Amino acid sequence: MAAATVRKPYVRQRSALWWTKNPRYLLFQLRELTGAFVVLYAFLVLWQLWALRGGEDAYYSFELLWYSRPMMVLNAIILGFAVLHTVTWFALTAKVPLFRIRGRPPPAALVIGANVAIWIAVSYVILTLLYGGL
Amino acid sequence: MAGTGTTRTIKLRIKRYRPERSDEPFDQEFTVPFRDDMVVLDALNYIKDHIDPTLAYRWSCRMGICGSCGANVDGTPKLTCALYLKDLRRRPVVIEPLENFAILKDLVVDIEPFMEKLESVKPYILRPDDRPLERGEYRQTPEELDLYRQQSLCINCMLCYAACPVYGHDPKFLGPAASALALRYELDSRDKGSEERLAAIATEHGIWQCTFVGECSVVCPKDVDPAGAIQQLKTRAATRLMKAMLLPLAPR
Repeated sequence: MAAATVRKPYVRQRSALWWTKNPRYLLFQLRELTGAFVVLYAFLVLWQLWALRGGEDAYYSFELLWYSRPMMVLNAIILGFAVLHTVTWFALTAKVPLFRIRGRPPPAALVIGANVAIWIAVSYVILTLLYGGL
Repeated sequence: MAGTGTTRTIKLRIKRYRPERSDEPFDQEFTVPFRDDMVVLDALNYIKDHIDPTLAYRWSCRMGICGSCGANVDGTPKLTCALYLKDLRRRPVVIEPLENFAILKDLVVDIEPFMEKLESVKPYILRPDDRPLERGEYRQTPEELDLYRQQSLCINCMLCYAACPVYGHDPKFLGPAASALALRYELDSRDKGSEERLAAIATEHGIWQCTFVGECSVVCPKDVDPAGAIQQLKTRAATRLMKAMLLPLAPR
């Protein structure tokens, strides 16, 4: 009788900093982080509504804060994350061909381009309705 | 090397694990002569033939089709037979077993969990009624073949699993290659088992766990695009669910 095989598989622990090893992992983590910033923005809007409910004076003091430099920077960061998420989402749509052109899936540039074009058009319409133009 | 005078050498740092001797893996450096036409696997073979015959690693075809020689080289999952030493910048070249798999010995990892995942997607043609043999084969046009050709090119090298942080986080995740294999049968005109197969993979640890990091498709040596395959499966599974909800009596 041969001796029984002594298998001793070694399971490696993943480093907590695994996402720093590859720029694409980092981009993925940033995209996941978008959720936190979107939640933060939702709270800011709730805060704005709360101030609006408090009357003219309360809303005026809110606006002073809203247009302050740190708030502008925070909003710019939130916008940056929202754009990152949107763009990477559009890049994903090209992976799912819903139709075929002459037996081939539509080229990725066409799918992504069409999505971005619709996004810009819809954004333009909404901004025009809200603010009367860009 | 004849006639060149001096022999160039290259230093490799290999992650080794010898379960019979130690409880932990350790790094060992080797210096091997190299020419521009040498791939990483050639260096491993040189070490085994001339320096240390105990070095364990898998390989077979040397031409990028058997899928057995995968390893993490300088942190990236690669087929060692298809990676030229001259194209590697870092010194020493760091060679480690494929990430996210348990190490059995040196560069040899445990592929058992991967095999189970492949089986779980029912990777064969499913039909409610098997035709008798005398009626011949199920025929297919070149256009029908084209629909799943890309997914059928997978060589099961597992580089995509080594690149997938979701699999690194949860070993139960179905993962890229098995999903691509599922799509290969989903797109096959002869297959009628979509309902059964989607039910098996559209689960918590199945395709829905994929968060679309996309690195699997970057490292894939055969351009199978498993990340894209999983997104296509998600669309199919979601469509199936919506149909079941909105048109409960319609055939799916």
